[in-house]
Amino acid sequence: MSERVTINLFRPQGERLRQEVAVIRIVLFLWALIAFGLPLFIWLCGLGDPQGFGASWLTRMRIFGGFPLHYWLIAQGGTIAFVLLCKLYTELLARALRKIERPWHAEAGQGGDDV
Amino acid sequence: MFKLLTASMLLLPTTLFAAVGPEDFSVSYSFKLIPALIVLGTFVLYLLIGLFSRATSPSDYWVAGRGIGPIGNGAAIASDWMSAASFMGVAGLLYLRGWFGLGYILGWTGGYVLLLCLFAAPLRRFGKFTIAEFLGDRYDSHGVRLVTATVTIIIAVTYAVAQFKGMGLVCGWVFGIDYKHSVLFAAGITVIYLLFSGMTGVTRNQQLQYVILITAFAVPLWFLIRNAGGSGLFPPLEYGSILSGLMEGKVSPSAGGQLLGEELAGLRQLFLPWGSGGDIYSFLALVFTLMVGTAGLPHILVRFYTVQSENVARSSVVWGLFFIGLLYWASPVYAVIGRYWNPLGGQSVADMIILSAPEQAQLGPIFLGYLAAGALAAGISTVAALLMAAASAVAHDWYSTVLHPGCSEKEQLVIGRVFTVVVCVFVVVIALNPPALIAQIVAMAFAVAGATIFPALVLAIWDSGSNRYGALAGMIWGLSMTLVAMVGWMARIPLFAEGGLLSATSSALVITPLALLINIAVSRLTSDKVSEACLDHSDIILRRLHRLPERVNVAKID
Repeated sequence: MSERVTINLFRPQGERLRQEVAVIRIVLFLWALIAFGLPLFIWLCGLGDPQGFGASWLTRMRIFGGFPLHYWLIAQGGTIAFVLLCKLYTELLARALRKIERPWHAEAGQGGDDV
Repeated sequence: MFKLLTASMLLLPTTLFAAVGPEDFSVSYSFKLIPALIVLGTFVLYLLIGLFSRATSPSDYWVAGRGIGPIGNGAAIASDWMSAASFMGVAGLLYLRGWFGLGYILGWTGGYVLLLCLFAAPLRRFGKFTIAEFLGDRYDSHGVRLVTATVTIIIAVTYAVAQFKGMGLVCGWVFGIDYKHSVLFAAGITVIYLLFSGMTGVTRNQQLQYVILITAFAVPLWFLIRNAGGSGLFPPLEYGSILSGLMEGKVSPSAGGQLLGEELAGLRQLFLPWGSGGDIYSFLALVFTLMVGTAGLPHILVRFYTVQSENVARSSVVWGLFFIGLLYWASPVYAVIGRYWNPLGGQSVADMIILSAPEQAQLGPIFLGYLAAGALAAGISTVAALLMAAASAVAHDWYSTVLHPGCSEKEQLVIGRVFTVVVCVFVVVIALNPPALIAQIVAMAFAVAGATIFPALVLAIWDSGSNRYGALAGMIWGLSMTLVAMVGWMARIPLFAEGGLLSATSSALVITPLALLINIAVSRLTSDKVSEACLDHSDIILRRLHRLPERVNVAKID
C-alpha cells in the first residue's frame, strides 16, 4: 500500500498538499463563521423577544441610511464577505505555492501550470 | 431508517408556514406589443449567434473548446447560475418570507467558497467532459458512472421545471396567453435554440445573456427607487430607508400611505428574523443545503473543464461570485419595493413580483419588455446548460462509455440531441403543474446535488480510502432520501414540508453528513474487496488531481 498515495484532508502528506490544506482550513473556518455563525448570532441576540420573532438590538439598529442591521448583515454583508474569502483563497494559495519549490513544474498537457 | 423517521416526526417543529395555496398564473392578461417585440428580438439575436458559431466536433459541442478566460468564464458561470430562480424566484421569496428569504442569498453565494476550496482546481487538472466521467474514473466503476449520470438528469429535470415555470409566467404576461400554452411556447423556443447552437453557441450566448439579464435586472431599479422616494444613486444602498419605513408601516400612497393595526404588525413581523414562520434550524438547514448543492451542481462544475488552466479555474470562481453577488444585491430591492407598492400580497403574486412591482410603479413598456427579456434570458441560458449536462450524461456517460463503447462521434451527437428533446418534453409535463414556488423547486434540485454528488466528490478528491462501494452506498442513500423528501413535500407530509426536519428544500443538513459517513464507513469495510488494478487506476487519478509526481519517479510521498 505504501506505494500508492494517501490523500486525506485531515492528514495531508507532502509539502505542497500541506500548504494547500492549510489555506483551505483558514478559508473554510472563516466561511463557516459567516455562513452559520452570523445567523446563530442573530438568533442568540433575538432570544429575548417575548413574541419569539427574534427582535433585538440588531433589528432595531439602522445603518447605511436605514438598513436594519440584521437584514443588511445577511443581504449584503454575507455576499461581500464570500467574494473577499474567494479572493483571500486565491491570494493565500498563490503565496503558499510561491514559497515552496516546484519540482513537478514541467508536467505536460494537463493544465499543470504553476502560480 | 424507519426508526430515524419516526423519531424525527416526534421532534417536528410546530412552525409550518405558507401552506401551498392556489397560485395565480395570470398577472395581467393582454398582448403587450413593445415587450413582445423586445423579447422576440433578443431571441432572434441568440439564434443568429448560435448559427454563426455552430458546433463541429463533440468537444466543441460539450465544452466549448477550452479557450475561455477568467472573466468570460466567470460571466458564463454567473449566467448559468442566474436562472429564473435567481431572477424571479429569489425576489419572490424575499417578498413572501421577508428576512427568512435571505437564507437563499446566503446559501447560494456561500456555496462558491466551498466549491473553490475543495473542487475547482482538482477538477481542472482532471480535465475531461462530465462529472459522471470524473466520478466513474476516480472510483473506476461503471456503477458510479451510471448513478452519477442519473443524478445529473434528475437534477436537470427538477431545475428545468422551475425555469419553465418562470419562463411560462413571463411569456404569458408578455403575449397574453394562458400559463399552459406559454410553458409550451417557452419550451419550443428553448429546444430550437439548443439544437441550433450546441455548447459553443450556448457559451457565446451566455456572455451576451448575462449582459442582458444583469442590465434588465439592474436598470429598472434606478427608476423604481426614484418612484418610491429614493434619490436613485445606487439602489442597493438606498432601499434601506424604504425597508425601515415598511417596518413602521409606511407604504406607497396608492396602497394607503400608512398601515395600521394588524396590517402594520404583520408587515413589521415579516422583516423580523422569525416573523414569517421559520426558525433557526430551518434557516441553517436551508443555507447548508443550498451551499453543498451549489458545490455539487453538475452544470456549474462542468464549467471548470472549459478553462485554460487551474489558475483561470480559480479566478473565474472569484469573478463568477462577484457577478452573482451583484444580482443578489438587487433581488431584495425588488422584494422591498414590491412590498411598498403591494404591501399585503401573498403567494399568488410572489413569483411575478419582479414584473408586477415595476408595473405598479408605472414603468414604461420598454423597461417592462427589457425586464421580461432578461427573465427569459435567465431561463434560457440555464435550461440550455442543464439540458446540455443531461444530454451529455446520456450520450457520453450512458451510451458511448457504458452501453455502446466505441460508437462514432456523430452517433453521440445524435443521441445527445434526441435526448435533449425527450428531457424537454418530460420537464414541460411537470412544469404544467408546478409543485412549489420557483426558488423552492430549485432548492430541491440543490438538495439532490448536495446529498449525492457533493459527498462523492469531496471524498473522491480528498480521501484516497474512499472506494466504489462506499461511493455507491453513499450516493444511493443521498439520492433515495432526497427523492423521498420531494415526494413527501408534494404529498404534504409535515416532516418533509416547509419547516419540517427533512424539508425537501433543506434536507441536506441531515442527509449529507450521513452520506459522507456511509461512504467512509462502507469504503473502510470493503477495502479488501477492491482489486489491485482498480486501486492503481484510482491512484493515477488522485496523483493527477493533486499534481503529485507519477509513481515511477518517486516511490513514496513525504
